[in-house]
Amino acid sequence: MAVPLKQPETKEQRSAASLLAQWTRKVGAALGGPILAVLFALIAGAIVILITWPDKTVDPFRNIYNAYTTLFTGSFGSPTKISNTLVVVTPLIFTSLSVAIAFRAGLFNIGAAGQLAVGAMTADVIGLTYTSWPSWLLVPTMLLASILAGAVWGGIVGFLKAWRGAHEVVTTIMLNWIAFYVTDYLISSPRFTAPLGVGETNALPDNATLPPMVNYINQFFGTQLNPFLYRVDISILFALIAIVIYWFITSRTTFGYEIRVIGQNPKAAHYAGIPIKRNTFLVMAIAGAFSGLAGAVSLMGQEITLSLTGFSQSTTGFDAIAVALLGRTTAIGVLISSLFFGGLRSGTTDMQAIAHIDPNLVLIIEALVLFFIAAEFLPVLRRAMPGWVQWSRKPTLVPTASVTPGTDVTENGNGDAQNRVEISDLDKEE
Amino acid sequence: MFFQVLFKGLISSNTWYATLQFAGLLILPALGGVISERSGVVNIAMEGMMLTGAFASVMITLAMHNIGLPDFLSVILGVLGAILAGGLMALIHALVSINFKANQIISGIAINIIALGLTSYLVFILTPSGQGVPSLPGNLRLPTFPWGPLASIPFLGLALFQQNVIFYLALLILFGAQFLLFRTNIGLRIRAVGEHPKAADTAGVNVRLLRYMCVISSGLLSGLAGAYLALGVSGIFLDNMTNGRGFIALAAVIFGKYTAIGAAIACLIFGLGNGLSFALQDLNLGSLLNTLPYVFTLIALVGLVGRTTPPAADGIPYEPGSE
Repeated sequence: MAVPLKQPETKEQRSAASLLAQWTRKVGAALGGPILAVLFALIAGAIVILITWPDKTVDPFRNIYNAYTTLFTGSFGSPTKISNTLVVVTPLIFTSLSVAIAFRAGLFNIGAAGQLAVGAMTADVIGLTYTSWPSWLLVPTMLLASILAGAVWGGIVGFLKAWRGAHEVVTTIMLNWIAFYVTDYLISSPRFTAPLGVGETNALPDNATLPPMVNYINQFFGTQLNPFLYRVDISILFALIAIVIYWFITSRTTFGYEIRVIGQNPKAAHYAGIPIKRNTFLVMAIAGAFSGLAGAVSLMGQEITLSLTGFSQSTTGFDAIAVALLGRTTAIGVLISSLFFGGLRSGTTDMQAIAHIDPNLVLIIEALVLFFIAAEFLPVLRRAMPGWVQWSRKPTLVPTASVTPGTDVTENGNGDAQNRVEISDLDKEE
Repeated sequence: MFFQVLFKGLISSNTWYATLQFAGLLILPALGGVISERSGVVNIAMEGMMLTGAFASVMITLAMHNIGLPDFLSVILGVLGAILAGGLMALIHALVSINFKANQIISGIAINIIALGLTSYLVFILTPSGQGVPSLPGNLRLPTFPWGPLASIPFLGLALFQQNVIFYLALLILFGAQFLLFRTNIGLRIRAVGEHPKAADTAGVNVRLLRYMCVISSGLLSGLAGAYLALGVSGIFLDNMTNGRGFIALAAVIFGKYTAIGAAIACLIFGLGNGLSFALQDLNLGSLLNTLPYVFTLIALVGLVGRTTPPAADGIPYEPGSE
């Protein structure tokens, strides 16, 4: 008979202090890495300000203080600012979920920007074509069509990866630019372009747009909030629902478990009988669907028009990668880090107006966050840290298997290329 | 109708001038990509390195001009500065992905973002009231190579002998790189490091040093391409002016099956797509033509025209001695 080696601990046996310590360790484990990355990035950003000294009317240290305080007050300082931040956060949540779910399966979705463009364009084409449809029919059609378009654009990547072994980083980059140019073509085609505005589509009719949140709040609570001040539209609710769906898919379904196994170890997944090809295709299609919806909601809720080269010039795809990585691809992590990055983005208006600092500082900070997450500075730091700031020893959620063309299985992690597995070849192995 | 316009485009020397110019711009970062990937470091950051180079070339040229240096010296210093700036970006990529074993794709993306952010940020800081960089006067740009009478040959003159000096430099570098990679000892070592770093290490090759050199040279080449773009073609620096050229170069690397000559042929094909887009304007194809490089590359990736396979250890950090 198996005798338990250790008596199972019950709650009553443990003191409050011990529970607190356990809790701190758990939270520290989950948050330590990302928080340190953000902290380092903010410090490095401060150094950039210190060196460049953008506002010569005050001393450089004052510059740093002004920059970060205006970034914060400009994004979360008042209800209107918060509303503006949520406007930025909404599409960011969708695209980040898109990147995150692909990461779970060990896939790099650099194509969020392209999938977003395709989704937005599809919604726009439908919205401008069936203008006579009533809102209750047109809006859901546009949203569904954008989901479908994004899913197709992402699904191509998954298909090529699973059946032809084409590396998803390369295919997503290619498909991004194809999407950018095709949308540019459609935007500038006489059918959709506005008669006077050069390089812009006609504005969507009112029955094809998403109403602002405050309309419902006013109705419900009898308040008199101005929808032009509180611009956030109801798609923020969709984004929250999407986060719940993401959480459900990744942690409560067999599919979520299967893609995680594929991401961590494709070979094991193969021998466990997990349908790698089908799941690779599906996960990329879902990723594309999230991004496609991002395009539709930002068009229907905020932009109303699409403009030429707008997609290729925006950094949405990159932002999404930063958010997904900073959030460690967990649902709650994506929510928090998209609030962080969205806040950085929407705070730049004030940072520029009050502290006279160029908004591009935020891009620098974002890149630095990526560096600090990606690089293994942490093992070095870990040794220098006191015990309570431990972070997770769990395998990272961005599997090393996703680095290269083909999915590599480096059993000893020393760069031995002989164990490489192409998932498209797995079936042929026996 | 279509073939008529196409034919008219193909016999116009303007088309071929634009084709070769675009190909020349692409080949430098593409060669950088080939070298870097051959050594086993994935590099999707050519875009950012090129942008940094473009920025540095314009800024340094203007600064040198403003402190009173002669024009040609300012331009030369600008080009050198661009090369160094690109190399510096690559050094970061090398440091992060070789020493800190970061995911090379994330590092590449971060380089692209930081290049975009830093150059735009610095333009705002360095130009009066942040209004952007002024267009460079003709004497502060890179000149065309003086071929003398050859330049006035009908048809061929414009296409072949009126290109920028960097174009001919790029050609030299192209054949140099192909020779280096496939005909020399060091090229063999680079490829060994990319295919099987452990074997190379056992044979006494310094894996890390070699990878460092390869990544940095990809930055130097991309920086030079940035100078070509800013000082040779456009004569101005604009935010995000590379506009995806670094990614087309990446496409050329893959389409060219990770060889210098292959990448050059890919650049030519992609360049022709660009050159023809002027001639085909009447067809109202607009930006659809711009998708051609990417469509070609997808087709190549899918394996319809011979599948491309990357070097075996591409993207895997090497950790000596761990077993």
